[in-house]
Amino acid sequence: MVFKHIALAAMLALGLGSVASAQTLEDLKNDKNTPGNILTYGMGYDLTRHSALKQINTDTVKKLRPVWTYSLADTRGQESFPLIHDGVMYVTTHNSTIALDALTGKQKWKEVIEYPAETPRVACCGIVNRGVAILNGKIFRTTLDAYVIALDAATGKEVWRTNSIDFKTGYSMTVAPLIADGVLIAGISGGEYGIRGYIEGYDPETGKRLWRTYTIPEPGEPGSETWKDGGDAWKRGGGPTWLTGSYDPDLNTVYWGVGNAASWNAGLRPGDNLYTSSILALEPKTGKIKWHYQTSPNDPFDHDGTNELILAELDGKKVVMQASRNGFFYVLDRTNGKLLAANKFVDKVNWANKVDMSTGRPDVTDITTKARSGEEVVYWPSAFGGKNWSPMAYNPDMKTAFANTLNIGMKYKAVEPQYRPGVFYFGAEFAWEWPEGARGSLRAIDPMTGKMKWQAESDIPRFAAVLSTGGGLVFTGTQTGEFEAFNSESGEKLWEYNTGSGIVGQPVTWEKDGKQYVTVLNGSGAVYVLFSGDERLAGTPAGGSVWTFALGD
Amino acid sequence: MVRSIIGLLLGLVLITAPAFASDAKLNKAKRTYKQFCAHCHGINMVNPGTSSYDLRKWPKDKKERFYTVVKKGSRNMPAWGDVLTPDELDQLWYYVASRAGKEPFKDEAQSQKPSPRPAAVQTLHAGKLTACVARNGGVMSSARHNGGTGLDYGVVKALAEALKLELKVTWFESEQEEESDPVKETYALLAHGLCDVVPGFALYASALEGLDGQRAALPRWEDQPDYQPLGFQVDLKPVVGSHPYARMEMGIVVSGPAPATFTSLADLEGRKVGVEQGTLAGILTLRQGTPAMVASAQTFNPGPAFLWKMENGAFDAALVTVAAYDFHKRQNPITKLKLTDYRHPLGFNLGIASLQENAPLADRINVVISELVAAGAIRKIAEGYKMHYAEPRTPHVQARITLRDILAER
Repeated sequence: MVFKHIALAAMLALGLGSVASAQTLEDLKNDKNTPGNILTYGMGYDLTRHSALKQINTDTVKKLRPVWTYSLADTRGQESFPLIHDGVMYVTTHNSTIALDALTGKQKWKEVIEYPAETPRVACCGIVNRGVAILNGKIFRTTLDAYVIALDAATGKEVWRTNSIDFKTGYSMTVAPLIADGVLIAGISGGEYGIRGYIEGYDPETGKRLWRTYTIPEPGEPGSETWKDGGDAWKRGGGPTWLTGSYDPDLNTVYWGVGNAASWNAGLRPGDNLYTSSILALEPKTGKIKWHYQTSPNDPFDHDGTNELILAELDGKKVVMQASRNGFFYVLDRTNGKLLAANKFVDKVNWANKVDMSTGRPDVTDITTKARSGEEVVYWPSAFGGKNWSPMAYNPDMKTAFANTLNIGMKYKAVEPQYRPGVFYFGAEFAWEWPEGARGSLRAIDPMTGKMKWQAESDIPRFAAVLSTGGGLVFTGTQTGEFEAFNSESGEKLWEYNTGSGIVGQPVTWEKDGKQYVTVLNGSGAVYVLFSGDERLAGTPAGGSVWTFALGD
Repeated sequence: MVRSIIGLLLGLVLITAPAFASDAKLNKAKRTYKQFCAHCHGINMVNPGTSSYDLRKWPKDKKERFYTVVKKGSRNMPAWGDVLTPDELDQLWYYVASRAGKEPFKDEAQSQKPSPRPAAVQTLHAGKLTACVARNGGVMSSARHNGGTGLDYGVVKALAEALKLELKVTWFESEQEEESDPVKETYALLAHGLCDVVPGFALYASALEGLDGQRAALPRWEDQPDYQPLGFQVDLKPVVGSHPYARMEMGIVVSGPAPATFTSLADLEGRKVGVEQGTLAGILTLRQGTPAMVASAQTFNPGPAFLWKMENGAFDAALVTVAAYDFHKRQNPITKLKLTDYRHPLGFNLGIASLQENAPLADRINVVISELVAAGAIRKIAEGYKMHYAEPRTPHVQARITLRDILAER
């Protein structure tokens, strides 16, 4: 029995060792209360992107200076959300994972990811990655060629690697994974390639896939009755899940947004087309759908509603809220999916008049009806959305959301799509309708009414995430490279700093030894630059870096 | 040089080619650009130009490099050669070289001054002649571990030698389904840019007309990417057939004792006649045989199994292609089946198919094939493979066969 004793002792030692250095599930839940660490995408499971830190505030922000920068040696758009644990910052690019000393920017390790040269063919809207998840000494990320991988947080050494699906059929992964109830959860991209979307759960220890929940039911499953074409539209029906969901540990429920139906030609897939353009409430251990709410039934417009789902308390209710691509700001009771409010948060929405509060369905205009039947229309907001991917922040004290909104329309005509694996499957011809003046604005929005409290317009729209702080500030960035701070009450711009390349990343704030820091990635690229044809950005240099700021003297 | 009907046709089509780009052409090019390129190179080719090449700066005189980079990839740029059809490539070049239609488009080929010397032959891969050859073509072609065998294979080999090009064979699987059409397969293979030439092209009028503008499914081929779906449809392009190198004939095969000389299908009366379903030979047997003979004839599935049925006594006379008999003979050298001297008056010349747009190549093929036939080189190739050989006949291109043609012989 000597052997058995030794083995047991070794196991205990290993177990203790990992506990001592680990970020546990408790740590992840408690992330909001530990400003020295950022352990969850969105700065908390509720995705509020709000920090109570206030050393940098409306008075002091003018003294904000860069502390260090780190070159990502990459010319793609940078959208990675930085995580920080024990003084180490973890960031990603499409082809590398990097650990940095958070205080100095010194590289601890960098692991390059090789993927087949054909992979960029299936990335519709930018060769990007949105960051890592962390648990028990491992960090987790997804790859463009649709792998989920785990790396040793200390060394960067790969621990496991699991293929989600063959990328050649149009699937890719850019999402930052979510860890909820001990399960690593990831979604898939490819809504423009005729995929059948899904969300997956993995065992973080082994990489074993625990479940896969398709966002489009197969015939016979609940929801399949909403695919009335009688053929196999469902097989290529879209429903991607490319933005990280939120998690309520008390309700043990994950909230995940599902994107647009495919092809865009809605006339070929009559019915509501569940669960495209929907909000799903899931059980993390099984992937079981607890409830769903669909924002755009039978959507012809690529109103790709994967948008972040922020958790908050409003009027004493636990709510989940979303500023959807389709131009409406939704507030739902997150215990049951009941609609509490749905109001326009941008000026021009012409595809629907309102959302019927009793049925929860949009009251569509003849723009939508005509679009579905193949007539040419001009609809607002465009496929870029009333807000694109760029996540908003929510200040729970002010009960206000801060979002980079868009003011762009689209000329549109549905056409017959031809399916070829791994190739765009639009089913529509389209062109942008530009407004005169500002194409976007940073807005402070009341979630229940959609009304704006203030706005800061910009001719070239902002596509960065927003960060809100207890110092009365909101941070965001422009595509021409300015990192900006606004007064969250008034909207007055208090500070900006040009970082040299466009910002489409996600600012975060944290503290160490009594000093508050703000970190953001710059690096021009991604969907607007590629799809707008905006000549004003052709001269903005590409090339990404990590920037960290703190107050100077 | 005597110009063939095909050559004349070619001339006519070239003259009627549009001199100016239409909006339709630009729209098509725009759509193709949007579908394949915009998500990296930007709408209207506008992007920061550091991670994706700024295509507005692509030198207009570097057409070939453009095609190479798009097909094979370069640095950040993935290879698209397995996805894009030759048509789509042309559209993209038009889009880029005309700067999205904002500047005049000058195609190199058109702007070059006509050279007094014969135009150099251009092929898909420089220095190589790529031929799509059926790996399941029976006695006409089949793949071997090292190269291939059969008349079609031998002819493209001789052709490549004469053109001083290295032969590269893309073996494909010809569909045996009754409803599949070898003519459409040939068109699809050429349109998809899988080869410069396809041998064994039956020269009859309907094979040479009216297929461009249609779509057809590709057969399976060697090195087919695994994400290329089965039955993938491509837009067809005009195809020309070369001067013929051989004639596909039909003859009467009998089992048992050597027969008297036949002069027509009617002479088969009194024998147990087999009919190969769905083939021209089968139709001719049913239409041109005597009523009594037809009444007692039995129909069997087409393919190599047909003659094996005869070998096993299911019937004792049939009209089949000579190549089918040769293939059976190769598989069963001690066969009791005999090919009689009778040849049905209907038959087809076989030529080499190539894209009409590569006229210099088609012209060179015509010269080479005519020389090879005249020198008896093709007959030698056939004999080397122990095949019957029939020289092509005039007219080179068989007119459309009508029911009247079939009944006339009765």
